Amino acid sequence: MFTRLSDIDRMFGAMDLLRNKMDRLFSDYDRSSLSDPAFTLRSNSPRTNLLESGDTFEVQAEVPGVSKEDLNIKIQGNYLEISGKRSVETPEGYKIHRNERGSSSFSRSFSLPDEIDAEKVEAALKDGILYLKLPRSETAKPKMIEINTA
Amino acid sequence: MDRRQEIVKQNEKNVEKTHELYEATPAVDIYENDNEILLHADMPGVVKENISVDIDNGTLSISGVRKLETEGAATYEEFSDVEYVRSFSVPQTIDVEKVEAELKDGVLRLHLPKSEAAKPRQIEIKTA
Repeated sequence: MFTRLSDIDRMFGAMDLLRNKMDRLFSDYDRSSLSDPAFTLRSNSPRTNLLESGDTFEVQAEVPGVSKEDLNIKIQGNYLEISGKRSVETPEGYKIHRNERGSSSFSRSFSLPDEIDAEKVEAALKDGILYLKLPRSETAKPKMIEINTA
Repeated sequence: MDRRQEIVKQNEKNVEKTHELYEATPAVDIYENDNEILLHADMPGVVKENISVDIDNGTLSISGVRKLETEGAATYEEFSDVEYVRSFSVPQTIDVEKVEAELKDGVLRLHLPKSEAAKPRQIEIKTA
């Protein structure tokens, strides 16, 4: 009986090992695409996250080196558009050794799952990340319907 | 000895270190003039406290950890917590004492001044 149990243990051990290897394979693959500087350079549009909590959506966008004045946010119904431009100026009198952060203009639009109350949208720019808090509009919220007794 | 114990031990013995965070390479611009070398690196979402800049033996390494405050369920995610890492070879003539760093809008700006001895010098010719 004891030998049987140990066999099972060993089998699970081997499976764990395989699983770890697979996990690593995927994360390595992810990493290679994330760490490739070309990946971050060629795609003009900023990377974004869309989070949903209760009645608000939160959109986060990576916009390093973009000032508040250079960002435009447009909302209509459930349509959201983030556009802007980034200007990278060479300081005067300096020789360029490496130039990976190019000036660019970008635009990205989204269709959100629900309509947004455009009046109550909050936008914040912090450390090169744009945070947008988008509350659902009243019409999109679920409503309780009372049943009348006859 | 019990086989089970052996298996558990084997896991602990695993010496290979795996990083908890993804590592990303920040895009950089490097400029130089007669007085200093200037380095700009994109590190969106990294706060000042989580940046480290080390110069050791001719190698400049910058590292920044981004921890995003998120709440709610992610519908989709294109970026997440990450560690920006990159290192450069810098000439020994950098005045390490006077290196300055600033962070604005997710862009790290490093000023690496050259030491006096390394600055180009114009030599005046005296007429006898």
